[in-house]
Amino acid sequence: MENGRLLSLVVLNFEQFWTQSRSSVMAGSLAASAFFHGPGSSPAASARSSKNTTGELPENLSVRGIVAKPNPPPGAMQVKAQAQALPKVNGTKVNLKTTSPDKEDIIPYSAPKTFYNQLPDWSMLLAAVTTIFLAAEKQWTLLDWKPKKPDMLVDTFGFGRIIQDGLVFRQNFLIRSYEIGADRTASIETLMNHLQETALNHVKTAGLLGDGFGATPEMSKRNLIWVVSKIQLLVERYPSWGDMVQVDTWVAAAGKNGMRRDWHVRDYNSGQTILRATSVWVMMNKNTRRLSKMPDEVRAEIGPYFNGHSAITEEQGEKLPKPGSTFDGTDTKQFTRKGLTPKWSDLDVNQHVNNVKYIGWILESAPISILEKHELASMTLDYRKECGRDSVLQSLTTVSGECVDGNTESSIQCDHLLQLESGADIVKAHTEWRPKRAQGEGNMGFFPAETRQL
Amino acid sequence: MLRCHTPPQCRPAVGAGAVLMRRREMAARCCAAPRVSGVEAASAVEGGGGEKRTTTMAERLRMGSLLEDGLSYKESFIVRCYEVGINKTATVETIANLLQEVGCNHAQSVGFSTDGFATTTTMRKLGLIWVTNRMHIEIYKYPAWGDVVEIETWCQEDGRIGTRRDWILKDLANGEVIGRATSKWVMMNQNTRRLQRVSDEVRDEVFVHCPKTPRLAFPEENNGSLKKIPILTDPAQHSRLGLVPRRADLDMNQHVNNVTYIGWVLESIPQDIIDSHELQTITLDYRRECQHDDIVDSLTYIEEGEEKSSNGSAFAAPHPEEQRQFLHCLRFAGNGDEINRGRTVWRKLAR
Repeated sequence: MENGRLLSLVVLNFEQFWTQSRSSVMAGSLAASAFFHGPGSSPAASARSSKNTTGELPENLSVRGIVAKPNPPPGAMQVKAQAQALPKVNGTKVNLKTTSPDKEDIIPYSAPKTFYNQLPDWSMLLAAVTTIFLAAEKQWTLLDWKPKKPDMLVDTFGFGRIIQDGLVFRQNFLIRSYEIGADRTASIETLMNHLQETALNHVKTAGLLGDGFGATPEMSKRNLIWVVSKIQLLVERYPSWGDMVQVDTWVAAAGKNGMRRDWHVRDYNSGQTILRATSVWVMMNKNTRRLSKMPDEVRAEIGPYFNGHSAITEEQGEKLPKPGSTFDGTDTKQFTRKGLTPKWSDLDVNQHVNNVKYIGWILESAPISILEKHELASMTLDYRKECGRDSVLQSLTTVSGECVDGNTESSIQCDHLLQLESGADIVKAHTEWRPKRAQGEGNMGFFPAETRQL
Repeated sequence: MLRCHTPPQCRPAVGAGAVLMRRREMAARCCAAPRVSGVEAASAVEGGGGEKRTTTMAERLRMGSLLEDGLSYKESFIVRCYEVGINKTATVETIANLLQEVGCNHAQSVGFSTDGFATTTTMRKLGLIWVTNRMHIEIYKYPAWGDVVEIETWCQEDGRIGTRRDWILKDLANGEVIGRATSKWVMMNQNTRRLQRVSDEVRDEVFVHCPKTPRLAFPEENNGSLKKIPILTDPAQHSRLGLVPRRADLDMNQHVNNVTYIGWVLESIPQDIIDSHELQTITLDYRRECQHDDIVDSLTYIEEGEEKSSNGSAFAAPHPEEQRQFLHCLRFAGNGDEINRGRTVWRKLAR
């Protein structure tokens, strides 16, 4: 078949190309980008992961499978289809002249350095190259894959890694279709979920994961767990389906007994900030449910990771209104949603409601008129009490008066209260909303121009 | 019938050339940019002109791709911490979300419209949309936080009025099949809400990228995905009433997402089953759609009798005594109209 012949030609001439390159690693990366650049092909993912490693092809990716695929040539050329290409790029010279003695017959034929004039049809070359990377993809997916230890691989699947001398943890997330909300951008819950995931992965990658979510070994010994007491978020833009976001997270001290965890989320492609957040955590005994001071042993475990940098500066933090602050002078309107109950999927391994779920409930009582035309610009949350499977909650939202009539020009402020129907406060929050940006900005053109419901 | 909000089917907006066309563009780009490492190449090519829509960073970075024959699509996902439930393994809702995601990505990779209605040009002209009829998921081994799941999906014709989408889930680490799923879809006129036969015109557009010979995730006879779910009239043994859709449960078209129904079905399972068993199979028949202001009751009935041992699937739990089976009904709290019917099979957890 034409395909087979051209495939061999392509492979052979890349052999020339490889053996002429200065270093095998360079060859690997160039080969990688030349061969394997395509949608979803995993060596491209290695490029995605970090800027400082180039094309890390897996050790045992064999190109043999690629060339063996097409039918052997009809005999017009003395080219054996089984070219044994071994792109063992890590430190060894990439060399196609390997075990098969038949290869010696092939070499003289491939003497011409440029093969463009050899091709009967340019489109056939493209088809051939396509077949190569498709098959390479297939090879890749069949590899002996052991993703159990996240530090083994670059961030191919979003394991994340520690950067900046151990002080910052970075992880990437691709926004999935079910993570976007009714307005086709990632919901605030999705973004908060990513923050939670990176926090845990940071602890895990730093080797500090004890038993239970986020507790260090010294904490687990003492039955201590972290509980969040306050979160502040500033959102600058919302990503869309298919966007890749990069989340950086680090920790610092918060007073004598608390820990602060900050996040900075950027769009991976453009580097623009998506959101910045800071949170304060305190320790609680999981049996007595009482707050605890930080034991010295725990401080010794986590102290080395403290990084003084702040995602949200003190000034910015001060400017954010505190939950419960009253609006003076203007009329306010109150909205309520009752009968909110946790589902099984809202519970974490300790059968407590995951703290990200509260945000969804808080927003349940926000009037739809705000949600349709505005987006959340900032949020401050004070966590007061936890709730479990059998709790029944109600969500109250107080909106500052001038905005309720659907004025889309100004920003809106809301105060929120999530409480048990029996009275106790679970979370208090304050939100600021700004008018939504125009559609079409940065949504990658996936959706048709007309919006169906907004 | 439930509106097809989310997983678009495999249908090309243009003819058979679409896939090859995109592949050529891919190839052209990669040949053109050999100098730089992957990331810069991506941006350089993106910025350097060429079609705006075809290859975005996300597509290049997407972990999934069509298989060589172009007839199915495979993608891998890592299980994130917030997708894990009380058993420290992924919840069935997470699995359902991933199935939906890979279905969407399949459609997107062959160039389909992804406006949530997943229609071809002809379908749009005729005002037709796809709606889900039935969803059947079997999970043999739930993945844990950090595990990577590889999902392959494809779709094909199913009778005269329908299409089906099948999935196979594997643990990427060892290639073991950890789950299978299938779903049935029918075509409906958006305005009259009546079912419509798949005309030849639409068939050509839709099924060119589907296997011609039937390929079933559940090839065995009398498998669970074919079993009927009867109407339930007796009082339910267990129930959870007054379930309310949250904003997050609504899809882009303001209807309750298919996956939310799974969560509601599980709500009326008694606590002792949740604590001691693991969901092995769930089958849902979709009958009506549900919106933000509706209130839903979830009812559970124990299914006894010969059903328990007739599950001859090779992948089923080996000891029927360790299985529990239930039938479910989700209905509107107000008028009692059925929203969904379901069946679940649970296997004992080896604690």
